Amino acid sequence: MADTEIVSHGTAHAEESTGGGLMRRLNMWTGIVVGVIAAVVVYFIAAKLWVNPDNENMAQGPDQAVIAAEVAWVIGFLVGVGAFVAPFRWLLGRDQTHDDEMFLAGKGQGVGRYLRFTTDHKVVGVQYLVLAMTTFGVGGILAMTIRTKLASPGEGLFGGQIYNGLVGMHGIIMIVSTIIMVVGPWGNFIMPIMIGARDMAFPRLNALSFWTLFPVVPIFLSVAFLGGIPTGWVAYAPLSDQAPPGMDAFAVGIIMFVISSGIGAVNLIVTATTMRAHGMTWNRTPIFVLGVTATSVLGLIALPCFEVGMIETLLDRSQEASFFVPEQGGSQWLYANLFWIMGHPEVYVILIPATAAILEMTPVFSRKPLFGARLAAMGIIALVALSVLVWAHHMFVSGWAPTLAGPFMLTTELISIPTGMIFLVLIGTIWRGRIWTRLPMLFVYGFLWNFMIGGITGIFLSDVPADNELHGALFVTAHFHYTLLGGAMIGAMAAIVYWFSKMTGRMFDERIGTWSFYTIMIGFNVTFMAMFFNGLSGMPRRVADYDPQYLIGNMISTAGAYVIAIGMLLFLYATVSSWRNGPIASANPWGAKTLEWYVPSPPPLENFEHLPVVTGDAYGYGEPNTIHTTHPGVPAVAQVAALAEGDAS
Amino acid sequence: MSNELEELPEASSRPPLSERMKTPEGKTIIKVATVVSVLTVLLLIFCIWWPLISLPPTMSDTQAEVKNTLLIFSIASAPVMALVWGIAYYSLRHWNAGSGDTPPEDGPSIRDNNRLSLAWVVGSALLTAFLLVWGLAALTSTTTLPTDAKPLTINVIGQQWLWNFQYPEDGGVTSNELILPKDRPVIFNVTSTDVIHSFWIPEMGIKIDANPRVTTTTLTTPDTLGVFNVRCAELCGLNHSYMETSGRVVAPADFDQWVKDQGGTPGALVPLDVNKIEPKE
Repeated sequence: MADTEIVSHGTAHAEESTGGGLMRRLNMWTGIVVGVIAAVVVYFIAAKLWVNPDNENMAQGPDQAVIAAEVAWVIGFLVGVGAFVAPFRWLLGRDQTHDDEMFLAGKGQGVGRYLRFTTDHKVVGVQYLVLAMTTFGVGGILAMTIRTKLASPGEGLFGGQIYNGLVGMHGIIMIVSTIIMVVGPWGNFIMPIMIGARDMAFPRLNALSFWTLFPVVPIFLSVAFLGGIPTGWVAYAPLSDQAPPGMDAFAVGIIMFVISSGIGAVNLIVTATTMRAHGMTWNRTPIFVLGVTATSVLGLIALPCFEVGMIETLLDRSQEASFFVPEQGGSQWLYANLFWIMGHPEVYVILIPATAAILEMTPVFSRKPLFGARLAAMGIIALVALSVLVWAHHMFVSGWAPTLAGPFMLTTELISIPTGMIFLVLIGTIWRGRIWTRLPMLFVYGFLWNFMIGGITGIFLSDVPADNELHGALFVTAHFHYTLLGGAMIGAMAAIVYWFSKMTGRMFDERIGTWSFYTIMIGFNVTFMAMFFNGLSGMPRRVADYDPQYLIGNMISTAGAYVIAIGMLLFLYATVSSWRNGPIASANPWGAKTLEWYVPSPPPLENFEHLPVVTGDAYGYGEPNTIHTTHPGVPAVAQVAALAEGDAS
Repeated sequence: MSNELEELPEASSRPPLSERMKTPEGKTIIKVATVVSVLTVLLLIFCIWWPLISLPPTMSDTQAEVKNTLLIFSIASAPVMALVWGIAYYSLRHWNAGSGDTPPEDGPSIRDNNRLSLAWVVGSALLTAFLLVWGLAALTSTTTLPTDAKPLTINVIGQQWLWNFQYPEDGGVTSNELILPKDRPVIFNVTSTDVIHSFWIPEMGIKIDANPRVTTTTLTTPDTLGVFNVRCAELCGLNHSYMETSGRVVAPADFDQWVKDQGGTPGALVPLDVNKIEPKE
């Protein structure tokens, strides 16, 4: 990472510290140490308090101790990483000095700032990218383990317990990675620059949202050592009530993840609504900003339902409550409803940012304005609105409210209309363009292919009689992998390639990137097409073993999965090697018009020396009169030069 | 679908169709339409072949309905996919500006086309409406009992990790194998003794969750003699993948014989409350 250029601010301050020496020594490692100590201490105290030696039934003991210890780990970590330094100082009656604020923003700290509670939105973006790619790698390894086991029927590598645990872990780790993989890196890094802001609205909350997410990853990994979860990531009750303590760790992980994403979502919404540059009306706001904002709103509405479900699950398990335990008067359908009120919007939380990123780069690589920009905005908003009204299509076969099958079939099928609008916008933008077939454009084509298949098969599943046959079958697995891996993940990879130069100052290695693109596309379609066939012929999902008639399809799926893995490794190699020694990028290698391309790569602290003024939208390709931005304070000659550089370099 | 294509380039004045087709735009339209048509045909072949070879044998009226629905949806999706992919493919072929280091010249500034957008939205709405009407009709027919035959009620009890079947109308016979008489509607009252399971007969197109303390219901009419599978379709713990059993559709006379062999009496009503079931050891 190149050193950032430091924008001087007012008068120079003396370098010596004005108190707060402790703050400057806190980082990720101190966080881990404090977190582990807190967890161990709390575990033993809780185990002592709750486990009554006179009581033979000690089954309750570990649950409470695990819950307490996992919560203590997160709080301890946050204390140790320095998340509460500033509030603590205010309690002591002292304020942060300017130097302290600049330190918190990561000024002059080199690589160390990525391991600290750093408030600069660009640092947070990089942290999110590295974390998302790491967790995606973990989830991918789990997926490969599952596929390797399923290469042949029979007991094979391991039995049902380990298999079920793997399925659940793969599910939740992938869900978390895909939720953060566009909004985390690019919503934080690019979005504020795109709207002409110097940072997020609440920089400290921004750091808090990342550092609350970070300790969640070890929590999910600890699930495996606490007996795993037998339920899959849906954690259906009452199976979750008989699960080992891994379930407690899982629930605490979800609760912390929802808190982290809620903090991030509020920050993104406030930033996008209040900090857009002078002149940037909603009509002139890039579609990616709109997508991130809409996603944040949706996440803020939907994800807390999962949190509530998990809190109640924990109460059921540790405090003998009975929200979801039918034997004690609870309702498993209550849980299913809570889960799916989160669960369906959540797939749009994953999908919309990736789609918006694709919409953002299609005009750049077609050299044409975004076709029907209003249609795209309406499509995104309609997706958000409809997605909270369709959850019961996941419960068509549950037996809950059969009379609602018709209405929910209606709302679900209505989703095909806004999805169709987005497809129209995409092909309308490509139509008669000057298609510049650089790597991001290949990903746009990959998205068009995969997401079309994912969307169409979703319509199959919206039909109640068809769903009665296909629900719980491998068909569903194939369908949502086509949307989430083939659609959202491809979009996220496009975003990495597209914004890589802005984040790192270096160009992405497109030769290896292209190889990885084709490898992934072929492997992906082989893997999941075979699953469609197996699913239609009646193979259930989440089974550790299967009848020999499904052997061929499973072998093809496993072979395809290995091809995907090779492609992903190629992509990882391209990312790492380009980051280390790719060719130096200019400020605007794509000739794009959104604001992030007017600042150096990588952008300096606080992004803009002079805040831009927006005078038109960012898609004026072929329109000399539509100018997105002017820079007051910069001499006119330099502006023209910058524009020319922007168009030609 | 080709109507929508014609409107892509702005046609300000409207000379006769034959004239318009000779302009460069018109030729483009013809070429795109050709690509889309060829692609539609290829996709149609795939979309018809795919469900037909994959779906399990049809053994009930419900499954026949499911099969028709999947076929219709699959066929309807072919032109939609062909349209989007055909246009994307054509654009890539004919307006490819290479992958050079510098961006190509800007393309034409086409920002919107209200008529096309409207046609697209109306078209997709009509398609949706068709699918919805089809779905509601199929839903009604699969959830309505035929009136021409006396239905048979069977209690289905899931427990970790096996299925039990009770025949309360045939002397309370119980079995781990599901025997059904041909051409007689069957009502399944489904419940569970522990966690959520899902009662699924792939060959009959029916699936309903088995919930503890609740009874859910589904129905179908088996119409083909033969063997079928009963599976659990909801992850229910350790041996979920082995929670399956087989079943047979037999002639009505054979069914009565089977009931007698099991020690029951065909037609003898034994009140069994599906909600008061103790798990078996």
